[in-house]
Amino acid sequence: MDYYLQQLVIGLSLGMVYALVAIGFTLIFGVLNVVNFAHGEVYTIGAYAGLFVVAAWAPPLAALLLAVLAVGALTGVGLERLAFRPFRRFTDEASLKSRAMREATLMSSLALSIIAREAIELIYGSQFQTVPLKLLLNEPIRLGPVTIVNGDVIIFVTALAMLLALQFVLTRTRVGLSIRAVSNNALGARYVGVDVDRTIAWTFVVGSAMGAVAGILVGLYYGAIFPSMGFNPGVKAFVAMVMGGLSSIPGAVICALIIGVAEALSTIFVASVWQELVAYAFLIVTLIFFPRGIFGGARERV
Amino acid sequence: MSASERPGKGLSRLLTLAILIAVFALAPAALYLAGRSYLYQVANLIMIFALLSASMHLVTGVAGLLQLGHAAFYGVGAYTAALLATRFGLPFPATMPLAGLAAALVAFLVALPTMRLVSIYFAVATLGIGQMLYLIMLNWVDVTKGPNGILLFNALRIFNFDASKPAIAYYVVAVVTVVSILVIHRLSHSYYGNALRALREDDQCAEAMGVETVRLKIQSFTISGFFAGVAGALWAHTAGYVSPADFSFTVSILILSMVVLGGLGSLPGAIVGAVILIGLPELLREFKAGDYRNLIIGLVLFSVILFLPRGLIGEASALDLMRRQFAGAWRRAPDRRGGMGWR
Repeated sequence: MDYYLQQLVIGLSLGMVYALVAIGFTLIFGVLNVVNFAHGEVYTIGAYAGLFVVAAWAPPLAALLLAVLAVGALTGVGLERLAFRPFRRFTDEASLKSRAMREATLMSSLALSIIAREAIELIYGSQFQTVPLKLLLNEPIRLGPVTIVNGDVIIFVTALAMLLALQFVLTRTRVGLSIRAVSNNALGARYVGVDVDRTIAWTFVVGSAMGAVAGILVGLYYGAIFPSMGFNPGVKAFVAMVMGGLSSIPGAVICALIIGVAEALSTIFVASVWQELVAYAFLIVTLIFFPRGIFGGARERV
Repeated sequence: MSASERPGKGLSRLLTLAILIAVFALAPAALYLAGRSYLYQVANLIMIFALLSASMHLVTGVAGLLQLGHAAFYGVGAYTAALLATRFGLPFPATMPLAGLAAALVAFLVALPTMRLVSIYFAVATLGIGQMLYLIMLNWVDVTKGPNGILLFNALRIFNFDASKPAIAYYVVAVVTVVSILVIHRLSHSYYGNALRALREDDQCAEAMGVETVRLKIQSFTISGFFAGVAGALWAHTAGYVSPADFSFTVSILILSMVVLGGLGSLPGAIVGAVILIGLPELLREFKAGDYRNLIIGLVLFSVILFLPRGLIGEASALDLMRRQFAGAWRRAPDRRGGMGWR
């Protein structure tokens, strides 16, 4: 029983990480109707940036997270400039969620993700980076019969705080309101004077910042930072987005938690190497039986 | 327009002849003169990837189904061939068709449920299934030996004839590749291929005109899986070693890049794409730049998308394909779609 509880806690913190990554996907999908394949690399870049900051000047955790947040935001801007903006060249009135945009950016972000991963590998090598021991988030905490590590708590709390902050940004700030406006109706938003290009850039800033923080949190939790670390969380977050119905943030968060918990609990029944399969199984089942996502709205044809 | 009156028919005949001479006479002669067995491996790899890219061309280029898990079928073929050869001692002429059939069977089973998905949902489903197959190769240690991979001794044996000498192996790979590509060519340049093109252009419209869309999609996917499996068998027998890393998502993307680079829907394009994306990094390796291989692939893909959306010899623009991939499913419900800019 204790083991189950312990796995549940691990699963929740894992799910929160996926949720942070999934939000980036969902926000960007909401605004542009595109899948940003480079999102996993933003996560990796977050982890490496954190490592760099730690090596340069070991700051307290909160400052480290803020630094990574900033790096993630900058990465988001750069990503949008390189992989997304050039394809918005047909911009008259109809182009924001237009086809030309969606089509090309899927491939361009894929290409950029390869470039980013390979560049990191060339600079740092493909091996695991060592994280200083005192920064590792694995100090055990005993809660009655259950032993968890402080990383679980820190990840959960940080992610929860970021979700609340996101909620605040989306509902109370000008930027958040314009993001919602653009994702609701890009043309309408433009007509009432929202600067759509800038809003899209902001969406990447917000989404990428959250993804990057997820990267460093996991890096410190497992002590494993390597060039292709972003692939698996990226795919799982993507699955969470699809399960949640593509543009619903609460849906994505809930599904990310479901995936995280299911993965952690699956180790009870099967060897842990198979836990990666759980997310893919969810994906296939979702696509076949709930193609609109578990919480999804109506869509014509899937 | 019937085939006989197509302009440039003579030219394309001539071109085919030139390519055949190059593959069967010039390239082996050059390789023989260069006299390095490593170069034979590169040549084999180029041909294997040309076959992979041609088989993906059938699904992604002609039928317009964005496939992100092609390497998994390649892997199924390679593992089938390797297991049949090591466990049952079957020779190459037996393992190759069986590997193709195994991959085709897997592709068929995959296609049955997923072919009802359209657009990006299909792409995502193939990504998921490709990863599942990859994880099975990686983790089902009892059968696949996991990350250690399987070694084939006396790899390329045709009944009692040992064909594993580089020059002979080259010819074996060349014959299989050329015949397979010929079959794919006949398929994609026929009424059947035109029906698949109709799916690519607009599958609802094609269905309304009486084309059985789901059945055609399943068929093309299965055929493509078959040739990917054959390519896998070629790889297993010429490299003498299979391991999961050769069939990961990166490889699927590499094959997709070849198809996109050459131009979607163009078979020569797919082959040229394979030659460039395998050959160029090897050429650079000569200049001690082998580490940049994947980086170059990424850069090539990025610049092709940015500057050459139709690819080198494209029939359909990559952009057009992507447009259709998304246009069907990623638009909002009708009541929320106000006016232009929404599709």
